[in-house]
Amino acid sequence: MIDIKKLYKSYGERPVLEDVNLSIRRGSILGLLGPNGAGKTTLISILTGVIGKDSGSITVGDLDLDRDSGAIQSMCSYVPQTMAFYPRLSAAENLEYFGALWGLRGRKLKERMEFSIASGSMQAFARQRVDTFSGGMKRRLNLAIGLLNDPEIMYLDEPTVGVDAQSRNYLLETIRKINRERHTTIIYTSHYMDEIEQVADDIAVIDGGKIILHDSKQAVLTSIDSTTVNVEELGEAAAQDLRDIEGIELGKDRIIVNRDEHFNENMARVFAVIQVRGLRVRDMACGKRTLEELFLNLTSAKLRDNKEGDRL
Amino acid sequence: MIKILYILKKEFLLIFRDIHALGVLFVMPALFILIMSLAMRDLFELHSGAKIDVLTVNRDRGTKAEEFLKAIGETGAFRLHLIGKENPAEAVRKQMEASDYKFVLIVREDFSDFVEKQERDKKEKPLELLVNPTVNVQTQLVLKSALEERLARLQWGVFLDSIDKLLVLAGIDKGKLPVSGESAVMVNYAYRGGQDFTAPSAVQQSVPAWLVFSMFFIVIPLSNTFIAEKDQGTFMRLKSMNVSKLSLLLGKMAPYLLVNAVQVIIMMAIGRYVVPFCGGTALTPGRSPGGLILITAAVSFGALSVALLIASLARTTEQATTIGGVMNIIFGALGGIMVPKFVMPGFMQHLADLSPMSWGLEGFLDIFLRNGGVAEVLPKCLALSIFGLVMLTLTVIVLRRQREV
Repeated sequence: MIDIKKLYKSYGERPVLEDVNLSIRRGSILGLLGPNGAGKTTLISILTGVIGKDSGSITVGDLDLDRDSGAIQSMCSYVPQTMAFYPRLSAAENLEYFGALWGLRGRKLKERMEFSIASGSMQAFARQRVDTFSGGMKRRLNLAIGLLNDPEIMYLDEPTVGVDAQSRNYLLETIRKINRERHTTIIYTSHYMDEIEQVADDIAVIDGGKIILHDSKQAVLTSIDSTTVNVEELGEAAAQDLRDIEGIELGKDRIIVNRDEHFNENMARVFAVIQVRGLRVRDMACGKRTLEELFLNLTSAKLRDNKEGDRL
Repeated sequence: MIKILYILKKEFLLIFRDIHALGVLFVMPALFILIMSLAMRDLFELHSGAKIDVLTVNRDRGTKAEEFLKAIGETGAFRLHLIGKENPAEAVRKQMEASDYKFVLIVREDFSDFVEKQERDKKEKPLELLVNPTVNVQTQLVLKSALEERLARLQWGVFLDSIDKLLVLAGIDKGKLPVSGESAVMVNYAYRGGQDFTAPSAVQQSVPAWLVFSMFFIVIPLSNTFIAEKDQGTFMRLKSMNVSKLSLLLGKMAPYLLVNAVQVIIMMAIGRYVVPFCGGTALTPGRSPGGLILITAAVSFGALSVALLIASLARTTEQATTIGGVMNIIFGALGGIMVPKFVMPGFMQHLADLSPMSWGLEGFLDIFLRNGGVAEVLPKCLALSIFGLVMLTLTVIVLRRQREV
């Protein structure tokens, strides 16, 4: 459905996306993970045609973003992480306005508004001004606006930030329902790993403007069933020996061997390196890591205080 | 086109649900017009009943001072408050300060002698005027010339009396002789297209001035919604919906053009119906609806363009409100809104021409005060349009440079 090849984008001298290659299957939900400043919002902004890219190609179905951006935009919908609507209008007035800007008129507009109101379960307060809404109600409206044009592709940028457990659960169920019933392709960014585990079919991790992991959720979850060898000091020579081996990940003084088809072979390699490089093993642990542990391991656990992080 | 209608509807709903915006756009200028029209009525209107209060001490030993003071009172411009001549100079000063008199007129003891004698020393000063330092020079001159004029008349009368017999012998009718000091100047207002137009009044000056001022205050609601759209991601959402920048800018401008038009109608109605109800003069709207529409559109375009530039440059609504407010006050002070241009010194009047508010004000004054039409307002409209286009171009450049847009 969406093919991104060798995508590059910089702000001034600073590259924000570098050699991004990503394929997103039609009708799938891609969970896009990345720390602040990793380039998630920039990637989505390019995909939605809000900002331009420097180089690379993006195709959506048979359409090329450079040539057919208008057609691509009309089949997509973007739900920003901010509450992108007008608080002094009612929910219905907001929906009417955005629906009209999508080109909907008359009965069609009314039908789509009713569908969106029902999807957000907003029937009871659709005529109320939005500035009287709770955080959860606002999040539901934000999502509902994104459903107005019956999109083939939805970009959801952290759609559950700041809501209570009930609203969050409702939103996740709605997203799954939309995907299931309307076969909408969804690109979903979030900082909540459990959400990604719940809704995504595929998972991609972006950091430093590069896609560092992209696989099906099943494969990623399998990979997090692993054995971890903690050593006293890994050292550059040992790290060099083990780097770039499929199924082995390196952390700070830590070697993680995924329980995949290469497990036995990789464990043998690890022990060989331990012997040759004279590493002192502190302990070993077997079992499942969480997706969060995998994410922190992949992106390193250091704090990301980039001031522009949220926008990148 | 239908999209624009929905954009208009949305913007109007936002404006009319924003109590602060309504206050700034409608209540503030309405109050300004009402207050300034009434407060400045006497400054503009010669036929007004305003009088200058003058504390007066008559120390004259003769009778001429009484005649003189009566004549001064009959001019209708001054109200004399006589106090006893036994008051010493210090007591008079104290009374002046205590009762906040701007002037004290002291008629000296030798006033009658001065009037009656034919030969006099030029250094003799039979009248003394104490002036509060806060009084402007123009008002001092008004009183001083009135005193000199009435004194000259009195002296002329005494002189004619002294040559009464000669005049009779010469067969000259004393009553037909010209009266010294009588003004030989006739004042008429020069309007375009004839004389039958209203006299300049405070309301004719105040309505255009505060109207232009309030139209430029559109920066506050406009930048509030614009920055909120940027902050809340609505702008980004709209861009992802393939809504063009031009539509977004037009969608921002069109509703506020209408808001400006509504401002003009309401402020004119206040000048026409509310100001006279409160004791002022009714506004005369001029005779050129075309000229009025043209100058309204041009002022509105200029105001909206600069508002959009400020909104696109500012990062927060607080910044936009502060920058916009300060800019308006400077434009207003410079452009003859707060202080009429005609009371400014020459170099300040030239400086005033730098303010777009001054161009708008002159355009409205062409219509309201000079009975002008389309031809008269056209140069001001052109200047405002060029100013607006420059501001809009800068806005587009700024928006292009911003990543969010």
